[in-house]
Amino acid sequence: MRPLKDAQLGAFTFFASALPHDVCGSNGLPLTPNSIKILGRFQILKTVTHPRLCQYVDISRGKHERLIVVAEHFESSLSDFPKQGKKASTEKVLQVAYEVLEGLEFMNKHGMVHRALSAHNVLMDCKGNVKLAKFGLYHMTDHGADVDFPIGYPSYLAPEVIAQGSFHLSDSSHDEAPLPSGSKTDVWSLGVLLFELCAGRRLLQNIEISERLKFILTLGCMDDIVTVLAEEHGCLDAIKELPENVLELLTKCLTFLPSKRPTPAELLRDPVFDGVSCLYTPFKKPVSLFSSSLRCAHLELPEDISDLCKDDDEDYLSERAINEVYHLWCLAGGDLEKELTNKGIIQSKPPICTLANFVLEDGESFGQRRDRSFLLDDTTVTLSLCQLGNIEGCSREAYYPLLEDEQSSLPQSNSSNELSTTVRLPLIIRERDTEYQLIRIILFDRLLKAYPYKKNLVWKEARVDIPPLVRGLVWAALLGIEGDIQAKYESTDKDTPIPTDRQIEVDIPRCHQYDELLSSPQGHIKFRRVLKAWVVSHPDLVYWQGLDSLCAPFLYLNFNNEALAYACMSAFIPKYLYNFFLKDNSHVIQEYLTVFSQMIAFHDPELSNHLNEIGFIPDLYAIPWFLTMFTRKSFFFILTM
Amino acid sequence: MKKNKGKANTTSEKEFVFEFRAGKHNCVLKVPLQFPVQENISDLHGRLMLLHKIPCYIEKDLKTSLSSFVEKETILDYDREAELALQRLTTGDVDINQLTNAWTRSYVETTLEHARPEEPSWDEDFADVYHELIHSPASDTLLNLEHNYFVSISELISERDMELKKLQERQASEMDKVMHELGNTLSDHDVNAVASQHFDAQQVLENKWASELKQVTGIQKHEYQQWVISLHQDMQKSNNSSQITEEIKVQPSQLLEVADSGARMFEEQPLLEESFTIHLGAQLKTMHNLRLVRADVLDFCKHRRHGSGGAKLRRLQTALSLYSSSLCGLVLLVDNRVNSYSGIKREFATVAKECTDFHFPFLEAQLDEVQQVLLYARAQRSSKQKEQPEIPRNGGDDKSKNVERNPSNILPGEFYISRHSNLSEVHAVFHLCVDDNVRSGNITARDPAIMGLRNILKVCCTHDVTTVTVPLLLVHDMSEEMTIPWCLKRAELVFKCVKGFMMEMASWDGGISRTVQFLVPNISEEMFYQLSNMLPQIFRVSSTLTLTSKH
Repeated sequence: MRPLKDAQLGAFTFFASALPHDVCGSNGLPLTPNSIKILGRFQILKTVTHPRLCQYVDISRGKHERLIVVAEHFESSLSDFPKQGKKASTEKVLQVAYEVLEGLEFMNKHGMVHRALSAHNVLMDCKGNVKLAKFGLYHMTDHGADVDFPIGYPSYLAPEVIAQGSFHLSDSSHDEAPLPSGSKTDVWSLGVLLFELCAGRRLLQNIEISERLKFILTLGCMDDIVTVLAEEHGCLDAIKELPENVLELLTKCLTFLPSKRPTPAELLRDPVFDGVSCLYTPFKKPVSLFSSSLRCAHLELPEDISDLCKDDDEDYLSERAINEVYHLWCLAGGDLEKELTNKGIIQSKPPICTLANFVLEDGESFGQRRDRSFLLDDTTVTLSLCQLGNIEGCSREAYYPLLEDEQSSLPQSNSSNELSTTVRLPLIIRERDTEYQLIRIILFDRLLKAYPYKKNLVWKEARVDIPPLVRGLVWAALLGIEGDIQAKYESTDKDTPIPTDRQIEVDIPRCHQYDELLSSPQGHIKFRRVLKAWVVSHPDLVYWQGLDSLCAPFLYLNFNNEALAYACMSAFIPKYLYNFFLKDNSHVIQEYLTVFSQMIAFHDPELSNHLNEIGFIPDLYAIPWFLTMFTRKSFFFILTM
Repeated sequence: MKKNKGKANTTSEKEFVFEFRAGKHNCVLKVPLQFPVQENISDLHGRLMLLHKIPCYIEKDLKTSLSSFVEKETILDYDREAELALQRLTTGDVDINQLTNAWTRSYVETTLEHARPEEPSWDEDFADVYHELIHSPASDTLLNLEHNYFVSISELISERDMELKKLQERQASEMDKVMHELGNTLSDHDVNAVASQHFDAQQVLENKWASELKQVTGIQKHEYQQWVISLHQDMQKSNNSSQITEEIKVQPSQLLEVADSGARMFEEQPLLEESFTIHLGAQLKTMHNLRLVRADVLDFCKHRRHGSGGAKLRRLQTALSLYSSSLCGLVLLVDNRVNSYSGIKREFATVAKECTDFHFPFLEAQLDEVQQVLLYARAQRSSKQKEQPEIPRNGGDDKSKNVERNPSNILPGEFYISRHSNLSEVHAVFHLCVDDNVRSGNITARDPAIMGLRNILKVCCTHDVTTVTVPLLLVHDMSEEMTIPWCLKRAELVFKCVKGFMMEMASWDGGISRTVQFLVPNISEEMFYQLSNMLPQIFRVSSTLTLTSKH
């Protein structure tokens, strides 16, 4: 993830829609709550990183299906423009358009549509560059199906979105949810947005919603939508004065028929941007740790190395990645729900005041007053990072430890004495110590950047402890994963049905389902794919029940990187469970059990005698222990080792 | 599931064609693809490479052409669907007004920005004020004031009872005299006249008292609320409220003396009670408390009239949690009419009147509201059923007949909820309708009463009722046909069902720890211990296990 820099952390909250009464899933198990579905779908958003998009950081579930999303946030947005009553300059309009389109194009490549594009969701960072916010809402709610509120804002809705209707629970006449929107709907919204910038005022502001929507729909009969809009808002002169290319851009965006409207990608390569596009370099995805290409291939050092140290302001924390800062904020006592309550976004009524009067036998309740606190308030609240004040004391050396020095594993800092005492504290306390975690995370981050060269040091430090935030990658390093795992995983056939499918299908809904990630539909899909990939790629081994439990920790740690989960599992099994998954694994297991019973006899003869006396041989109880490396019973215990 | 139906209509198959040269051969790869494409493109690509043994030098070409094909076709699909929708509008298949109204409604009903402004509600403002005060030093004063009001009401009630008793005695003696004279100077007709006169006199007296009580409670409630509001204002005005807190603190001691003057007249009846801590769930366990209690159901509502210290604490506890998110609920089994004229309903209403409810409407008013809501619900249901007549409901005919006969009655398994601030340990009462079926031995887990329990637990979940009291045998008093095997069978059923519902609840609310009290009526001690032995066999009772970490 990118460093925090001048961004802030923001949080907003919404409710997933409640499940209908008394409905079971097709497999007879209870339905997955919508909030868990959203949580599962959210995870991929953490990997969508682009300079024009606000980085998503975390999601958490609250009481009564509440969800709180944490993302990169900026205070100023495009909605500040029309408020001040001034029109944006031509250059500004083109710049905004180009940057928004860059963001949209990147999203589309990941199969996502914004749908909620509006002036207050286009944020501006300190340099005046565009950052799109809430771009993942439409994706994580499964095109709006898992929430009660419509996604998007009335003035910005594209005509086809309006025409496809809104799905509403109390409305029984609509049997099916509206179809998902394509990427071109965002282009219309962008057109409205740009028009507002040019006109210097809000569009269709003081009209009732239904009138607004009708107006948008009637635009279909007009020849020149831009002129009609301008006349309607009394700013024809301002629009007429616009240069040719801006006017053309507006006309292209505000094309009524979707088939004639360009997609973001097409529009981005349109000649109207000829003067602008040269200012931007296309975004290159940073190379991941495990890939076939050289990680330093595009590294360009300045002529004079000392240039690097020039902009050396003292705020080292803002150079850390956003998710690290958020993790530390949580450790330092940050509480999302409290922050939102303080700002008045979460308001709750006493439950006794909202009790229903009467409930039918099938669970439908009547006489319940609609609680206003369940309505959507999509204001984003800036999280104050003041809790992190106490770790600002860390010196530059703490943030940039020298790895070549084999002597001291812990960097010198103001409070190094304190830290060296922390090392001796129990793990559970160390994992909650903000400063200690900061230093460990930095250390591991740097070691991993130097992987595999610094493999030995990773081993050495992992013996002390592993910070939970980087556990997935550190485990991969410990297992010695190398090479282009993504390509290997992709070339494995995970779709063709195989005989083991049925067993996997039965096991997955029973494996660690109390966990939010693993019980989400996305989690099930990933689980199935990783397991199938392993079974297909190891023809000499078979799927024994228990393999699912073994896979769970790896999937949990690398939820967004199936390839890495698969690679870790493939490396783990020959190392620790060699030949355990043979079709006939009886003698391997027997060997383990014999060693185990001898160990009992050595360490606790009395117990061993007693067990022998009552004939309680290890075969009766210990097979799943070894087969799953104890993961079945103590999943989270394993994760903290 | 509704969505799937919508999507299923729009899937279509398209053929992806890719041509390449391998040596001297021109090869053509044709792949039928389902749209919209669900799977990952790179996976599909990997599979194609593997399946058709495609040479690696065209790997990149295949990938780009595959992804651009999918992208192009997906956009075409979107465009087609979008234009179809627009076309439906122009041809008039879809009414534009209906459409925009639906949109407006969904915005108005779900988003704060477009929602109608909230009308200020006295209840909620009072709730906030009270919640703040009860968690301040003023709580003691509040409680004492409440207690004083309670004492004056109970004095009134005892006066009423006395007067009624006197009247009855006088009437009895009069009647005796009349009966004595029967046949001599008086005829049957005269006796009847006297009897009806007596009845009338009794009615008049009862009505007089009823209206007086109502008036007094009304005045009390008004005074109390005014006082609470003004106290709150005073507290806010002088933030360094040392003076007020002094004032508050002086008052109670005098009041306490009054309250304690006639205390400890009679000992409480010993309750039989046993508590368990249990774990639910196979992998991640949630902890809950269960309690088996032998008591009368109204014991949870009654205030001990001459309160000992324990009663006051209980009262404080109830007051503190009234507007919190840990409420206490009680399941009361009632018949199919929403009123308080007979049986347990009448007894409950008597208890509820013993003390003024300073927060919620009187029980009658609440029941009237329930009656209204019930009629509305029936109307809603029947109009829905007319729309979708094909929905099969088990025993639907039977039930709908029943409803048609009298729509204001409720059916077994349905329940209404009343809210109280004046009961000793309960905030919300779930009035669950049961029929005579529950007295017979053979009810199953699909019985309406059990389903009603499930819905009650669900409401507990959504409205933060963390303690709920359930009649274990689904009856409030014992009768002859309830033999020991009957009791054991019934207890087992309810235990098992409640266990199932609690596990289900854990998936709704993430396993918040709860207390469930199982209430049994007046059964023998031996029977009670049999039941308390049964509980740990059904629920997994936690045993202490100390784990030490080596780290």
